[in-house]
Amino acid sequence: MARVLTPLILLVALLAIAMVTDRPRPPADFAFANGSDINTLDPQRMSWMPDLRVGRLLHEGLVKHDVLSSTFDVVPAVAESWTVSNDGRTYTFTFRDDAKWSNGERVTPDDFRYSWRRAMLPDLASDYFAMFMFVEGAQAFYDQRAADIAAYAERPAEERTQESADALWAETVARFDATVGMKALDDRTLEITLAQRVPYFLDLCAFTVLAPVYPPLVEQYEKPDAASGRLLRRPGWTKPGVLVTNGAFMLADWRFKREVRLEANEHYWDRASLAIDSISIPSIPDPNSEVLAYQTGAVDWVSDVTAGYRGDMIADKLAFRAEHADRVAELEAQGLDPFEIDRLLPDDPRKNVHAPSAFGTYFWNFNCQERLPDGRDNPFHDARVRRAFAMVVDKKTIVDNVRRLGEKTAGVLIPPGSIGGYPNPTGLPNVGDAKTPAEAEKIVADARALLAQAGYPNPATDFPITVELVFNKDSGHDLIAQTIAKNWQQHLGVPVSLSQKELKVYRDDLKKKRFITSRAGWYGDYGDPTTFLDLSRTGDGNNDRGYSNPAYDALLERAASEPDPQRRLNILADAERLIMEEDVPMIPIFHYAHVMMFDPQKITGISAHPRMKQYASLVDVLGDGKGPDQPRTMHDGSRNTNPRSPVPTGELSSASETEGVP
Amino acid sequence: MIGIILRRLAQLPVILLVIYTITLTLAWAIPGNPLENPEGRQPPPEVIEQMQRQYNLDSYPRFYWSYLESVTGVKYARDWLGGDIAQAAQSATDAGTAPPTRYIFDFGPSLEYDDWNVNEIIATSLPVSVALGSAAIVIALVIGLGAGIIGAVKPNSLADLATLTVALVGISLPTFVIGTVLLLVFSVLLGLFPVAEWGARGAVLPAFTLSLPFAAYIARLTRMSMMESFGADYIRTARAKGVSESRVILKHALKNAFLPVLSFLGPAAALAMTGSFIVERVFTVPGMGQHFVDGVQNKDLFLIMGVVLIFATMLILFNLAVDVLYRWVDPRIA
Repeated sequence: MARVLTPLILLVALLAIAMVTDRPRPPADFAFANGSDINTLDPQRMSWMPDLRVGRLLHEGLVKHDVLSSTFDVVPAVAESWTVSNDGRTYTFTFRDDAKWSNGERVTPDDFRYSWRRAMLPDLASDYFAMFMFVEGAQAFYDQRAADIAAYAERPAEERTQESADALWAETVARFDATVGMKALDDRTLEITLAQRVPYFLDLCAFTVLAPVYPPLVEQYEKPDAASGRLLRRPGWTKPGVLVTNGAFMLADWRFKREVRLEANEHYWDRASLAIDSISIPSIPDPNSEVLAYQTGAVDWVSDVTAGYRGDMIADKLAFRAEHADRVAELEAQGLDPFEIDRLLPDDPRKNVHAPSAFGTYFWNFNCQERLPDGRDNPFHDARVRRAFAMVVDKKTIVDNVRRLGEKTAGVLIPPGSIGGYPNPTGLPNVGDAKTPAEAEKIVADARALLAQAGYPNPATDFPITVELVFNKDSGHDLIAQTIAKNWQQHLGVPVSLSQKELKVYRDDLKKKRFITSRAGWYGDYGDPTTFLDLSRTGDGNNDRGYSNPAYDALLERAASEPDPQRRLNILADAERLIMEEDVPMIPIFHYAHVMMFDPQKITGISAHPRMKQYASLVDVLGDGKGPDQPRTMHDGSRNTNPRSPVPTGELSSASETEGVP
Repeated sequence: MIGIILRRLAQLPVILLVIYTITLTLAWAIPGNPLENPEGRQPPPEVIEQMQRQYNLDSYPRFYWSYLESVTGVKYARDWLGGDIAQAAQSATDAGTAPPTRYIFDFGPSLEYDDWNVNEIIATSLPVSVALGSAAIVIALVIGLGAGIIGAVKPNSLADLATLTVALVGISLPTFVIGTVLLLVFSVLLGLFPVAEWGARGAVLPAFTLSLPFAAYIARLTRMSMMESFGADYIRTARAKGVSESRVILKHALKNAFLPVLSFLGPAAALAMTGSFIVERVFTVPGMGQHFVDGVQNKDLFLIMGVVLIFATMLILFNLAVDVLYRWVDPRIA
C-alpha cells in the first residue's frame, strides 16, 4: 500500500513546491480589466488601445490632456509652459524642474530628442512614425536613413563590419543633430520646428507615442547590426526592475498574460495628486470572464466590455434610467456628467454599466468611381443617387433594434461635441428621424425624386445594377446589412444582394475598390476634424470609396493654410457639409459607444468625454481613506462655448496659438 | 535500475532532436507571415525583410541550425568564450542600468509579444501549469481510485451505477461546459471562489474541472483491473487464509490493479501539467496551454518550439518516472 501511495505523495510534494514558489500578491488599491495582455511598454512602438491605456500611466509627454474637462484641454506635463511662434511652426517648451525619471534623474530635452529620433528611424518600425514627420527635416532624415541602409546592404560582405555599421550610425546621429528641427536650447528648453503649421500639434504631443524613453537604458538594447547596418532592437528593457519611466506610475511587476502591477512613482512631479498608490491589471482574455471578474469584485473597472450580451446589459441600464426619469432629467438640467448622474441615483447593480459615445463612426461606403469593378457604368458615381440611398436607410432601427447599445444615430461623420469649437453640419434628412409617417413618406418621396432626376424614374425596372452590400461576417454586420438592404428594396424598389466575406478578403476588396457598397468605420486618431475628413481627400490611402471632388480638396487646402483657428474650423465644417449633405460618399449610420463597467459610487475619475481617453492615475476610490475621496467629475474646459452644456462640447484644444499656460 | 535510468536519459537528446525536427518542419509549413499583423497597421516591407533576416525566418536550414544552437546552449558557450557577454554586462554597468539577460538555453524571442522572450513566457506560465496539473492529478487519483474500488467491490450496485454514470459524464462532457457551470454556481452565485484570480483558492475549480476526464478514466481502469484481480488465485488464497476483506481489497487487489493506472499517470501528468487551453480560458488561469494555441495561430515559431520542447521533455521524464516507480511497485518487472 505504501508503494502504491508513492506517486500520490510525489504529486502532492510537486504541488506544494509550485504553490510555495508562486505566492499571490496583496490586493492593489485599484484593479482594472484591460483585455488579454499588453503587447509592449515601449511608447514608440505602441498602437493598441490596451497598450496605450497602460502606457500613459507610465510615460508622460511634453503635455497631456485634461480628460475631465469638457473641452479636452491640453495641460502642462513635462513642459510647464510653452510658446508658439506667429507662423505656428516653432514651439518652445520650458521643462519643469521637478520632472523626474523613476530613478530620480531629471527629464531633459535631449531625452525627447533621443526618443523622437528613435521613432523617425525606419529601423524601429513605429506604427505611428508618420506622426513624427511633421517635424522639419524628419521626412528627409527618414528617407536618407532608409537609402543609407539600402546602400549598406549592397556593400560586399567584407566591408560590412561592426566598425562600418557603427560609423554609419554615427553619421545618422550627426545628420539628425544638424538637420531635424529639434534643438535643446539649454537643459530646460526644447525648441521644435515643424515643416508646416500643424494646428493640432499640441494634441499630438499629448499622445503617449511621443513620450520619452530613458536613453541610457534603451541604448543598451539597440545596437547597429554589422550585417544590415540597421539598429537591432532587442527586448528586455521594459521589464520590472529594469524599466525607467517618467509617468505617474512605475512598473512594479509584469507577469506575462497574468498581471501588470503598477506603483506610484515617488519621483513624479505631481505625486501629491494621486489618490491610489497601486494599480493591478490582471490579464483576462475572455470577454465574459471580464464581466464575471467585475461582478465578483476582482476588478473595479472593465475598460472595454465586449461580451456578447452587453446589449442586454445596456437595455437593463436604460430601463433603470427610465425608472428614474424625473430625477435623471433634473440632474441633467444641472449640467452633470453621466457618471455623476449615475452616482447620485439610487444604488442598483444595473447602473454600473456605461456606454458613453466614443470618437468613432460606423458608416456605409459607396463606390464613387465612374466604373464598377466589372467595367459597367456605376450609377453611384452620381451624387444624387447616393443622396437618395442615404436618406432611406433607417438608422434609428439599426441603433435601437440591431445594435442595442444606446448609440446615437449619425447624420455626419465627426461625432458631434467631440471637437470643441467645431460647428458640426446637420447632415441629410433621414427616414428614421421622421416624427410622423407623413414626414417619412415625404423623405422617401424626395429620395425617389432624386433618383428620377438621375434618370431612374422607376428604379425597380430601370436601375441598371443589383446593389451589392459587402460586409465581413463577424460582429453583427450581417444584421445591419440586412436592414439597409431591406430599406433600399422597400423604399426605392431597387434589387439588392448581400455579400458576406472573410475579414481579410473584405479588407482586400475595400482597398482594391472591388465593391458597390460596403460597411466601414473609423475612429479618430487625434482631436482635429481632419482625422475624419482626410478619408475623403482625393487619393488618400484610406479613401476606399474612390471619391474625388476638387472643391472638397480645395476646402481642405484652404483650411490648412488658414491661421485663425476658428475660421479654420468653419472651413472644415463646410468641407464636412459638402460630403455629408451634397456628395455623400458614405452614409454615416451611428457613432460608436464605448461600453465599460464600474460602480460610480465607488470609482471616480473616469472621463465621459467622447475622445475616450482614460488616465487611471486620475482614479480615486471613494471611501478607501486615500486621496481626497471626493467625486472627480467632468468640469468646464478653458474655452467652453456653451457653459450649460452637459459634458462634451469639446474644444480644439491643440489650436492654441498663444501662451499655453492655463 | 540506475543503468536503466541512465540509458533512458541518454536517449532523451535523440528523441528531442527528432521531435524538434518534425515540429519545426510542420510549424514552418503553417501559412502566413508571423511578422505581419492580422489586422491594423502593418510594418513597412523593408522592416519585415530585415526582421526575417535577423531571426533567420527567410531560410529553413539556417533557422534550424541557429535555433538548435541557441536552444542547446552552444551559442551561449560561444559568446561566453568570445567575451561578448562580459562586454555587454560591462557597458550596461557603465551606463548604470541592468545588463541584458542572457539564457544558457535560449528559446528565442516571441515574434508576437514584442517585449517578451520565450524563456520568460515559459518561466511565468510553467509553474502555474505544474501546480494546476498536479492538483488535478491528485484529485483525479482520489476520485478515480475511490470510484473504481467501489464499483469493483459491488459491481452493478447502485453505487457502481452512479460512479459509472459520473465517469461517463466526466469523459463525455466537454470541460468548457463543466467549467462554465462550476464557475457560475460556485463563483458567481455562491461567491465561494474568486474569478480571474490565480492562487490557492482560485485553483480549486480549474483543478477540479481539469481532473474530471482523468478521474473518469482512472475509475474505469481501476474498476476493470480490480474485478480482474478479484478472480485471481492469490486473492482466493488470501480470502481462504481469512484475511479481512478491506485488507484484501487495499493490500492485495489494489496493488495489482494500480499498475495500469500507474502507467496511465505518466502521460496524464505531463498532459495536465503543460496546461489545458480550455480550462485556462474559462477560469483565466495564466498557464502554458494558451501558448500552444496562440503560438500556432500567430505562427510564433519560437514560442511553438519552446512549448513543444518543454512538453516533450516533461512527457519523457514523467514516463521515465513511471517506469522507475513501476519496477519499484511491482518487482516482477525488474
